[in-house]
Amino acid sequence: MLKCELSGSQVKVFGKAIQALSRISDELWLDPSEKGLALRSVNSCRSAYGCVLFSPVFFQHYQWSTSVKVNDNDSTMSNLNCKLGMKSILPIFRCPNSLERTVEKCKIFTRSDKCKVVIQFFCRHGIRRTHNVCFQESQPLQVIFEKNMCSNTLVIQPRVLAEALVLFTSSQEEVTLAVTPLSVCLKSSSDEPMDLTNSVYSEMFVGPDEFDFFQIGVDTEITFCFKELKGMLIFSEATHAPIAIHFDFPGKPMALSIDDMLLEANFILATLADEPSRASSPQSLCLSQNQKRSDLMHSTHNNSKADKNVTSKAPGCILSKAAPKRLYPSETLTNISALETCGSPTMKRANGDISEVPESSVSDTDRCQGLRICRR
Amino acid sequence: MKFRAKIVDAACLNHFTRVSAMIAKLAKTCTLRISPEKLNFVLSDRVASAGVSMWCELEQENFFSEFQMEGISAENNAIYLDLTAENLSRALKTAQNARALKIKLTNKHFPCLTVSIELLSVSSSSRVVTHDIPVKVIPRKLWKDLQEPTIPDSDVSIYLPALKTMKSIVEKMKNISNHLIMEANLSGELNLKIETELVCVTTHFKDLGNPPPASEDASQERPPEQMAEVHIDIRKLLQFLAGQQVNPTRAVCNLVSNKIIHFDLLHEDVSLQYFIPALS
Repeated sequence: MLKCELSGSQVKVFGKAIQALSRISDELWLDPSEKGLALRSVNSCRSAYGCVLFSPVFFQHYQWSTSVKVNDNDSTMSNLNCKLGMKSILPIFRCPNSLERTVEKCKIFTRSDKCKVVIQFFCRHGIRRTHNVCFQESQPLQVIFEKNMCSNTLVIQPRVLAEALVLFTSSQEEVTLAVTPLSVCLKSSSDEPMDLTNSVYSEMFVGPDEFDFFQIGVDTEITFCFKELKGMLIFSEATHAPIAIHFDFPGKPMALSIDDMLLEANFILATLADEPSRASSPQSLCLSQNQKRSDLMHSTHNNSKADKNVTSKAPGCILSKAAPKRLYPSETLTNISALETCGSPTMKRANGDISEVPESSVSDTDRCQGLRICRR
Repeated sequence: MKFRAKIVDAACLNHFTRVSAMIAKLAKTCTLRISPEKLNFVLSDRVASAGVSMWCELEQENFFSEFQMEGISAENNAIYLDLTAENLSRALKTAQNARALKIKLTNKHFPCLTVSIELLSVSSSSRVVTHDIPVKVIPRKLWKDLQEPTIPDSDVSIYLPALKTMKSIVEKMKNISNHLIMEANLSGELNLKIETELVCVTTHFKDLGNPPPASEDASQERPPEQMAEVHIDIRKLLQFLAGQQVNPTRAVCNLVSNKIIHFDLLHEDVSLQYFIPALS
């Protein structure tokens, strides 16, 4: 059972987090624990994941009590397993800036017996607004990604990143970040052939001294989706905290994170793999992942209660290579998942992808490298 | 063919940015004509623009600290480029606090106008932003369609009222009908009219003033009260008015009865001519 209370300015940050996650997906998991309240979102193509964890000290008041369920062989800590539709929750937190001004107190609590989340705003002039949002029982997904193991780390003020992103139009789908120990360049992804009406190619070089922290272990160029980056940026401007970018080589996911005392936000995006460079060692990656995965399978609590909603979307990694509508046919990717089920236009950019940890037998051909997800 | 130019002055840069923003609102694609003294943004009355044409002229030395160009040949010392106006406008907008802006004609797989901007930044290192705007070079045989239009002999010439006021009125009228009648006379009166079966709406502007006539005879022949009218598509007028973000230094409207409306604007030192043909 979750019970927490926020002040007006905290509601603004909370609302901005929801807005940022809404750019990733239409569904949001509300995942409270002793560590705090986590909001999680994964896109249908499994190429982007966002999680904002609000620690208990963020709130005016935070209470999470769990009932320990004894279940067959082992006892499991029950999660709230609450999945909300963005369509329901986003309008409640619309205009976070004005919420900050009008809301004096906000209470959020759950009633798991009725599968409802209740959000109450106590506003000025004695007005009280109550929203009851029904949720679906669904186990949240969590991504396993060792951001501290990345060879490249940049820490930048959100304002600088915002100034760089102004260069790109909203029609620009992908953006490339190219780094060397001497410079950082953000540029339009040079895949699509340009014509008169088509996009301008833009690039911006930023010197190392504009970063709060600059560590480049390996020269690299990674390409990722612009839209998801923008979502994260909007949130970071609300928190005024610097953004850390962790990344490695193309194909490996990149992490954008904000870490301060009150909250921790992580946005993990898949990056475009570069076929020629990957061809050298796909096998070795598969093996190590298989091993890792089996470890994970032991350590995660195996809830036999499979979540239908989750599995129906992406039944593990699939062998068939969905023909990516890439304009460079040579760049077929070795890591693709069940894109047939997601009808979204982002399908065409079959990026480095997420492999799930399903209970069912895992096929070992052509594994996905990229975001590794397990169910909590 | 060569072209390179540089702007270092902030005021010039802002002015150039505003001009390109205006052009972007007036036309989706247009022709940029580069000659030793001037830059022109041209829209010829080809089918695509449905009869509307535009000629915008600026003196290069009012903007650029450095300007070098070499046309196709010595006799034809000009360069004509087709581009999407929005691309240039957006690229210039990113140069808000630039220390310097350079524009060059380059060939990176295909012809481009490369805009490179040196931005001031908080730290010691400056940021360099580059935009490659794809352009199409227009061959010399098509240049004849892109020359300065001849100013028609107008029946009435009148100063325009505040363009923002005109725009808000025309916007509301658009909801009623697409067919607008603009009429004016030599007594400083201008009317905007729409007529449908159910309703007739007219907005009257008075005391606008008329520019002095070109020749003495013309003014004496025409009775001052007599209106010259032109029927036009209201959307074309609205597009023209939407492009005027700032009030021009001078705004004159010349009407040729039942033929064409010619707008002659001056924004500081940039001249804009815009032609809207009558509905047939």
